[in-house]
Amino acid sequence: MTESRGAQNTYLLIPILLLAILASIAVIRGPSLVSLAGFGSAIIVAAPLILATYALMPIAIAGRGTVDLAVGPLLAFVNVSIVSLNGLGLVTSPLGVFVVAIAIGVIYQILFALMIIVVRVQPIIVALSGFLALSGINRVILPRPGGVAPDWMISWSLGNTIFSPVLLILVLATGGWLLFTLSPFFKHLRMMGYDERAAFTAGVSIDVVRIGAHVIAGIFVSLGAICYTALIASGDPMQGTTMSLTAVTAVVLGGVSLAGGRGTVTGALLGAVNLFLIGYVLTTFQFGTVQGFVTQLLYGLTLIASLLLTMLVPVVGRHISFISPFAAFMVLGIVVAAIVLEVSTAQTYVGAGPNPAVAGDLMHRYLLFPPATDGPSLAISLSPLQKLLFVAAAGIATLVVMMRVVVVEATARRFGAFGHVVVACFLLLLLALVAIYGQPARGGLVP
Amino acid sequence: MTLMPLPRSTFLLVLNLALALIVGAIGFGVGFVQGELAQNVLLFTVITVAVLFWLANYVAVAFENRRVPAAAKAGDAEADDEAVGFGSIWAANRALIIAMVLLLIAYLIITVTVPMFRTIGNLIAFLVLEAILVFAFKVSGVFVHGRSAFIGLIVLIALIVISAFTIDGFLSAANIKAVLLFAAFLGIACVGQTLVALLGGLDLSIPFVIGTANIGLLYLIGLGVPSWLGFAAVIIIGGLIGFLNGVLSYRLQGQALIVTLGTGFAVAGLVQIVTSIGSQFSGNVFGTVPSWLSNLAAMNGSTFGLSVPPTILLWLLLSIVVVIALRYSAYGRYIYALGGNRRSAMLIGISEFKYWVLAYLISGAFAALTGALLLGWSGGGFIGVGDQYLFTTLAAVVIGGTSLAGGYGGYGFTVIGVLVLQVLSSFLIGIGLKYEWQQFIFGLLILPMVALYSRSPHIRAQV
Repeated sequence: MTESRGAQNTYLLIPILLLAILASIAVIRGPSLVSLAGFGSAIIVAAPLILATYALMPIAIAGRGTVDLAVGPLLAFVNVSIVSLNGLGLVTSPLGVFVVAIAIGVIYQILFALMIIVVRVQPIIVALSGFLALSGINRVILPRPGGVAPDWMISWSLGNTIFSPVLLILVLATGGWLLFTLSPFFKHLRMMGYDERAAFTAGVSIDVVRIGAHVIAGIFVSLGAICYTALIASGDPMQGTTMSLTAVTAVVLGGVSLAGGRGTVTGALLGAVNLFLIGYVLTTFQFGTVQGFVTQLLYGLTLIASLLLTMLVPVVGRHISFISPFAAFMVLGIVVAAIVLEVSTAQTYVGAGPNPAVAGDLMHRYLLFPPATDGPSLAISLSPLQKLLFVAAAGIATLVVMMRVVVVEATARRFGAFGHVVVACFLLLLLALVAIYGQPARGGLVP
Repeated sequence: MTLMPLPRSTFLLVLNLALALIVGAIGFGVGFVQGELAQNVLLFTVITVAVLFWLANYVAVAFENRRVPAAAKAGDAEADDEAVGFGSIWAANRALIIAMVLLLIAYLIITVTVPMFRTIGNLIAFLVLEAILVFAFKVSGVFVHGRSAFIGLIVLIALIVISAFTIDGFLSAANIKAVLLFAAFLGIACVGQTLVALLGGLDLSIPFVIGTANIGLLYLIGLGVPSWLGFAAVIIIGGLIGFLNGVLSYRLQGQALIVTLGTGFAVAGLVQIVTSIGSQFSGNVFGTVPSWLSNLAAMNGSTFGLSVPPTILLWLLLSIVVVIALRYSAYGRYIYALGGNRRSAMLIGISEFKYWVLAYLISGAFAALTGALLLGWSGGGFIGVGDQYLFTTLAAVVIGGTSLAGGYGGYGFTVIGVLVLQVLSSFLIGIGLKYEWQQFIFGLLILPMVALYSRSPHIRAQV
């Protein structure tokens, strides 16, 4: 069990690394991201993409190379349906909108599943057929972007707080999927995706499992469409294609195998957030008229690069098996958090001191010390909270690394390279301690 | 093949004779109604019946020859359990009966509710559709090979008949020329898709390459490059993009779809960046298209004095070359071998990498050619010109009956698929449907077409 989990998680290394790089660039280039409003609106903008990516995940896990290219048009279909029904005054209440949206998504996905199961057509053809039909009907329902979202939805897209209903939907969707992964149904799903024949022979009722996967996908698409409607506060029949392509890129980037059997919600989330950040970073560069084309170019390159990298993962994974995605996430997370702190506090601390040019102030800025009034001094004073925070961060980082080393080295036949590094660090630390406390002026280690 | 081919099965013979006689009778009636000379009407009726009978037999024999052993076996098995009664008919034709009844109900509902729908043309269309169902379910069962092509041909003929009855001027020279011209664009773009599908891959970069070639060529011409050189350069660049596709997707064959989508996206973005630099029109390129290029692809183009755009003839020539090459050349046979069973093909020394990359290279080059020709047709560069080809190339290949799993099909099938799509599109435009509705109907039509002949076996049968 641990083996397969490790194999799954190795694919998360790439999105995690990319996330760290992109988040750093995004924060440095566009500091407004690090504020209540910036973060809140980022969640609202990214939510539809994240949910569309979630929707692709269960059906990709279900195998047979199912990539629902129609996810974007379906999202747009739910979007224009909500807006049109609202315009006609038929369905305006929150409950009604949710029921209608989820019903549309689920019914479409069940039809999709039945086409694969009963008619036994290749999934890609069903997806293609759905793409054409839905893109067509979207523009019949709503010829051009327009319409008004239900009133109660307008306040959702303000983005002046992090804790918007959109975040709630995201958390519920993610939590729901995580709960689902605990069920035997999910094990059947993965088994079917990995080897459908084996699952069938083992007595898994594969038809039910496939329909279940599609129902979950339908729910995710509908939630995504609701978030999208809240975001643009109107209907847009044209967005489908772009959304499909972006979501497929995100799902591939997140390490979900399109061949089936492998995929995690963390990966899908990271993939979607990465794509959002790419878009965000690009908007901070002023490309002028070619802005859209640069985005397009980078999306394409990301898609290819992430596919090629997933091919390399098993090869690389053999050599760097001592790095767990969790450890990488913790370490990179601390680095990014430091950058975020630096950027968000830059205005507060730069120039506050009497002598900002002194190198010591830089330390103060990074580590959130109150600006020194009497020039730089080595005697740094930490508040109790800061002490706690720093010790906790260092402790967690050390613990994660150490645990990882212990786990890996316990099963390894030879002492790995990483072990050498850790031992070397300890030796250096020891030497440093001796050098500092061993000075005669201080009285030596042993008084 | 003999001069007067006769199918082995009596059923087919009778069917062909009936078909010829019915069409002859229709012509006979129409002739008298129009007040033609009696001897002329008689002469034409006899000729029609004879030619139709011969053609139908020819087609039947061409498809029938290969299935004889299988059919003989099936016949033996069927003879044993030949039960009579409603139950057995229902059991044998369940799908057919359900489909026909559904169609009948739909027709009746529309007829009752919409007064404008009650025309002779619609009645004929309805009858033809029912006939297609009967044909598709009963007759196609006789054929083991080329079933999809047969159904495609039937659908094509039925579409032409329906359109000719319902739309004025459908069979006019101008309309036929337009249908063929658009079919030629689609057909040229489909060459690569067919080859790639025969190997079990997919190329979704085609629309982006078309758009890229379209604006790229105009950009090159605008830079002062001689137009023929630009034309060649664009095709070579298209080939290079295809080469890149092939190399990148070789190790990721399951995800070829996504890889090509990525390259397409990247290439389209890159070319738009290049063409936008130093231009205030972002994404759009303006320039003059040389006259030889417009003549090549525009509706009023002419070939050696004939008022047919050269593109149509180019497509015809290309179809013949590709069909013959796939059937007789080593390259073609190896593609089928690889698509059918990769492992055995590699064991007899066929380089999978070489053929995979070559197929994608051809695909890219022909997509670029389509883009360049479309520039001649439209006279202005536009990146989105290829967008509709994203799914129509795939749809044409699939409707024609080339298996997306590889190893079965051919360009001849794709030509049928292309024609079906274009005639259908022309029909839908003719009855006044907007592009959105067309797209919707295309989407819904692909499924039943594919379901008729390329259903995969149940999982039970694969264990």
